[in-house]
Amino acid sequence: MSIQGLHGDEVDFENTWAQIASAFREIHTKNASKLSYEELYRHCYRVVLKKKGEELYKRVQNFEHEWLSNEVRSSILLLVTPQLSSHDMVATTATEQRTAREKFMKGLNAAWRDHQTCMAMLADVLMYMDRVYCTDHRQISIYTAAMFLFRDDILCAPITGGGGTGHVLGLLNQVILDQIQMERAGDVIDKYIIKSSVYMLEHLYEDESESEDKRLYVRSFEVQYLDTSREFYKREAELMLRDSDAGAYCRHTTRRIYEEEDRCKSTLSEITMPKIKKVVEDELIKNRIEELVGMESGVRFMIDNDRMDELNLIFDLNSRVDDKKSELTKALQKRVVEMGTDVNSAAIAASQAPAPAPEASEKGKGAPAERTLNQQTVAALKWVEEVLQLKDKFDRIWRESFESDHPLQTALTQSFSDFINSPTFPRSSEYISLFIDENMKKGIKGKTESEIDMVLEKAIVLLRYIQDKDLFERYYKKHLCRRLLMNKSISNDVEKQMISRMKMELGNNFTLKLEAMFKDMTISEELTAGFKTHVHQLGDPDPKRIELSINVLTSMTWPLESMGNGDSEDTKRPQCIFPTAVDRIKQGFEKYYNTKHSGRQLTWLANMGSADIKATFPKVPQKDGSFKERRHELNVSTYGMVILLLFNDLSAGESMTFEEIQARTNIPNSDLIRNLQSLAVAPKTRILLKEPMSKDVKPTDRFFFNEGFQGKFIRIKVGVVSSGNKVESDRERRETEKKNDDSRAFCIEAAVVRIMKQRKELSHQQLVAETLTQLQGQFKPEVPMIKKRIESLIEREYLERIEGAKVDSYRYLA
Amino acid sequence: MVQKKHEIEAALAKEAQDISAGRLKEDNPLDLSEDFRIFCEACRRGDLKVCQEQISKGVNINARDRFDYTPLILASLCGHYEVARILLEHGALCERDTFQGERCLYNALNDRIRNLLLSYDYAKSTNPLQPLAAHITSLLTRDSPKTADIALVTYDETFQLHKFILSARSPYFAKKLAAAPDTTTWKLPQNIPSDALRVALQYLYFAEVSARSATYGLEGEEERAVLTGIDKLSRHLEIPELFESITEVSDRRRLRQLRNEELERGRDQMATWFTNNVLRNKIIVDTDKVSSIRWDRNNSIFADVLLRADDDDENTYDSSESDLTHSSTPSSESTIRNTSGLLNGIPIGPLRSHSRSRSSSRLRKSKKSTLYPAHRAMLLRSEYFLTMFSSAFREAQTTEHLQIITMDCSPRVLETILTFLYTEHADFGLDIAIDVLFAADQLFIEKLKQRAALIISTLGNGSTSTVDPLNPRGETDAEEVLDIYEVIRAGWDTRVHRLEEFGARYIAYRLEYFIDESEFADLVVESARRIQKRQETDTVELVDDIRYYLSERFRLRFEDSGLDEMMDEGKEEDDEFPDVDETGDFDKLHISERGGGEVERFSEDREGELLERDIEAQIAAGAVRTLDGKIAGDEFAQDAINYQILLGKIDTLLENLDLEA
Repeated sequence: MSIQGLHGDEVDFENTWAQIASAFREIHTKNASKLSYEELYRHCYRVVLKKKGEELYKRVQNFEHEWLSNEVRSSILLLVTPQLSSHDMVATTATEQRTAREKFMKGLNAAWRDHQTCMAMLADVLMYMDRVYCTDHRQISIYTAAMFLFRDDILCAPITGGGGTGHVLGLLNQVILDQIQMERAGDVIDKYIIKSSVYMLEHLYEDESESEDKRLYVRSFEVQYLDTSREFYKREAELMLRDSDAGAYCRHTTRRIYEEEDRCKSTLSEITMPKIKKVVEDELIKNRIEELVGMESGVRFMIDNDRMDELNLIFDLNSRVDDKKSELTKALQKRVVEMGTDVNSAAIAASQAPAPAPEASEKGKGAPAERTLNQQTVAALKWVEEVLQLKDKFDRIWRESFESDHPLQTALTQSFSDFINSPTFPRSSEYISLFIDENMKKGIKGKTESEIDMVLEKAIVLLRYIQDKDLFERYYKKHLCRRLLMNKSISNDVEKQMISRMKMELGNNFTLKLEAMFKDMTISEELTAGFKTHVHQLGDPDPKRIELSINVLTSMTWPLESMGNGDSEDTKRPQCIFPTAVDRIKQGFEKYYNTKHSGRQLTWLANMGSADIKATFPKVPQKDGSFKERRHELNVSTYGMVILLLFNDLSAGESMTFEEIQARTNIPNSDLIRNLQSLAVAPKTRILLKEPMSKDVKPTDRFFFNEGFQGKFIRIKVGVVSSGNKVESDRERRETEKKNDDSRAFCIEAAVVRIMKQRKELSHQQLVAETLTQLQGQFKPEVPMIKKRIESLIEREYLERIEGAKVDSYRYLA
Repeated sequence: MVQKKHEIEAALAKEAQDISAGRLKEDNPLDLSEDFRIFCEACRRGDLKVCQEQISKGVNINARDRFDYTPLILASLCGHYEVARILLEHGALCERDTFQGERCLYNALNDRIRNLLLSYDYAKSTNPLQPLAAHITSLLTRDSPKTADIALVTYDETFQLHKFILSARSPYFAKKLAAAPDTTTWKLPQNIPSDALRVALQYLYFAEVSARSATYGLEGEEERAVLTGIDKLSRHLEIPELFESITEVSDRRRLRQLRNEELERGRDQMATWFTNNVLRNKIIVDTDKVSSIRWDRNNSIFADVLLRADDDDENTYDSSESDLTHSSTPSSESTIRNTSGLLNGIPIGPLRSHSRSRSSSRLRKSKKSTLYPAHRAMLLRSEYFLTMFSSAFREAQTTEHLQIITMDCSPRVLETILTFLYTEHADFGLDIAIDVLFAADQLFIEKLKQRAALIISTLGNGSTSTVDPLNPRGETDAEEVLDIYEVIRAGWDTRVHRLEEFGARYIAYRLEYFIDESEFADLVVESARRIQKRQETDTVELVDDIRYYLSERFRLRFEDSGLDEMMDEGKEEDDEFPDVDETGDFDKLHISERGGGEVERFSEDREGELLERDIEAQIAAGAVRTLDGKIAGDEFAQDAINYQILLGKIDTLLENLDLEA
């Protein structure tokens, strides 16, 4: 044999091949350790160098083919026994079956491992051929080629014995599937064997491209696996839906998914994981979620019984198959609206229910109408509480079960907003404002700052849901106005906090007027103080001087009309005639005010003020037998003061008729009646006596000074009927809504003009759409209303119709 | 980004300052030696052979001459692409942002050279020693096949290491291991942190080390402990450069220079060790006695395998080898052996037979085998050995005595391969170049293969340079060392394109000697077959290449002929006589062509016809010349005619071989 490849003579190919072949046989029979790598490599190297690479390649292939089909195949076919196929043989037991299957797989795996090891060694020896011949001639490497041989000679070998048909690969697939089915049914199987088989299938390819998706595993096993699994889970879902409740179904499904994931890791291949998961999800969730959610023990049941875990399971399942979780969302929204509507109708029912027994009410001052109102206030507060409870409940579910999922939050908000703004329940704005009012006046007394914060936050939460913000503003203004003027508010700070919260939530525009109200209050305090020093400087040390405390209110910001009761019929309020002492001081202040702000018109609203009077009652015998002069400080309304001062001029025993009083004071009828009622009818503050004694006040009644008045306290507050914020009566509500509509009309017109000024020309549709968006933050205008406003603007020549335009369009007239 | 003139001047001044202060080593030191002058001259002329010879001699490739020229600048300025490539392949620097580098780029004669220079910019290329260093570094982390033979143990970690690397790199280990070569574990003092040892080992194993990466994530006390540990180790292991090399250097060039120095020092240490141990311990025995040789696993040079190469039949270097053999006897005093001396040397039994056989070999001239002790760790650089030692075959098994692996080459070739694997040195003669080429191909040592090809294509070129305008007529040395047919076939067999190119060029420049040989015709046929096997194309690669180089050979004469004429006038006259001789030669050629006359008749396509007319015209011109006897002008005409004749001959050849062209 020659030493130098180049100088060497022609290699005796047959001879060399005989040596190589015998060495290969040794390798296959596991006797490689005796062989010399150097020698074998040298032989192959020479052959390739002598341009016999192709022949060598073919010989090796042939050799492997022969080996596989003669030696290996038979040993595999021996393992194919009737017990393997579970279907035709009933007699075989499960254990027998399992043993047969495992034996078969073990045999196949061993053959595969041997083949791999041997081929790795062959490839080492044939390295030069692989690098030089195969690369130059675009052949697949000998190792790969041998793997294909294994596929063709072993896996695709037809099975003839045992009555079975098909080939080894088909049988293997069936065996693995059967094993997995056993595991699903709860049996324990040898995962490792299956994993090895799968490993084999993963490393064999259908064709020479060797791409990922051409693996035998993917092409042959996985397809079958997914099919059988789909079938299996379909049946299982049907069974489960019939036999168990929603919670159990969810738990089972979660477990199944986990099992399949685990199976992919431990038994099959990771690449199957997404596919099998999809199958399970499709069959157990996607196709069933609607039924599942709608089950008797479905979402509704879970919500009602606070089944947080199960809700979480449902959420988890639904989010697996649907990013939007639409089924769950649907069920959830339905339930929220249902429960919300229940709360609404409860509130309506409560407000319309007949008043409970009079004793029940402590606060009431007697009038039955008032009781109804009061009843409604209670209903309002109850409504707010319940809505908040509902909100709390769903918030908790959302947090604990729905993993604070954003789309679901949106859906919840939507549903809350839906029932709160439901057209069948128009009172939400008022109720919320009342809730705040109640808390400002009483609720927050003695509460810590953080508790107050919580109350405020609740109010804001509800406020968010309100669509018609302008309506709320109107109510709030009204209630606030009362609180401010009557000093009902417990803490000014809390009021301001509330305002700033609203400002954050609804914007600057919304709170502008509310803030102006506060400003007026401050300015008024300064004015009062200033006037006091002013009077002091005048040097009039009149001991009987009347002290004046005054609130100057900007007429545009304050909802003054709502303060007066039913003065809508006479536009100009008749000026009340003040007693001279009071009138002097009034003029004094007017003079003072004019020096400060010239050109401003002050209108005195006597109906809204109050006065402290020191009254001395003559010595008359009392019930307890004492006989002494009594002094009381009476806190009465301004009208009450005017009325009482009239009696100063009368001698004891003299009386005045209602008409006389009216003539001398010029107090509007209704106010006069109410004031006289509180002075002469209410038992605790009966400073006047009325003849005849009755509850109603008639123009013909006569009034006396009650010399025998007795009071338990020095200070006595004479209340005036119907002061304080309560739920409006229906009439009032119509009133409010009408006013609201009027102001909305202005808002809409303003918005339309703003838009048109900018756009100059716009079609009707666009204009309406833009108007709607612009007003979104304030309220939701109705389209007919917008139309009407546009008509009106055209009439007033702000806009004109564009003649001959295809769609209705308008042009702005500057 | 273009620097301003004053910026460049400032940078140059700073560089000069740094150099004189010793902070920076001069990249291009002045070299006035005779060797360097010859080298520069060769670069000017484009003489590949001389260049290669001088490089092999070890001339500083980056030095500069009296006129501040570096060889690379000369080669690129004079437009010698091949020379520039060789220089760059041997580590000539052309770095952007340095004065010399930019000068080199600026001076490049053409874009081809300029692009070549740019492709070798330091930022992209690596130090030629880097592959060796990378391999040795990788040994630190390589688990299989197992090559480590000693474990260094600190209190919390164990490092698997190689005795031969340790003793090559650290004088301390050299002494200790020589005293006790069979040590398998080595405990270190407790107070040396593992991190410090790791850095030291990385340094020993050629890795780039720096203090920052060594102490990364540590601070205060620990950092100091590691640094002290490194310092201690540096003194203990007698590797004083360690501490210096971990100190930070921010300057890119300084860093590169340090690294280069370090690599070179390391390589030299390896080379010294290799020569003193591996080569010195080779054994020459009669081939039939090889099987009786037993080397113990524990031997003083830590070898774990024996490589055997059998002599060629013609024993050309017998005498010189026997000298070396002498030194390899156990009584020889190598640097390591002198401390221990007695144990674990080369086993006694086979040596006796060896020395006997040697003495008898003189008489009988029986066939000899040479055995080299080697280390698997280094052999792994070849994929062949990597596969071998990772496999389940006999060679991979651990036996009591060292395995003897027969190599398919001569001892000289094997020695060359070993030298390359251990030291990256690859300087060998043309006589074994082809054998090395084949061996490297067989063992998958790509770099050595390229080196062999390079040596063949430079040294094998004879006295002619690549583009020698003075020799368009293909004058060659009388004695050619090279069988060009063999070279071309080797190029095909080992898939080295450079050799195919070289062969084509070689033949083109001497075509008149080859064109009529039948072996040449065989070669053309072979080339054609190679191509047909791959894909259906009509060209024969070899012929195309030859045509290309043929045109190159004559092109210079045609192009600036006017100028050349004036310049060369004097010379031409000197050359007159040989020219005349040659002319005679060619006239004979013409006649034979005419007599045959088949070329013209057989050519079919239009191009052929054009050619035909050309040739006739040229021949006519040639005739005129012979008649008139005009000397200077007619020489060019003669070249033109020669060119056409040679082209015509190729066509005839192809026709005769029934090949499409």
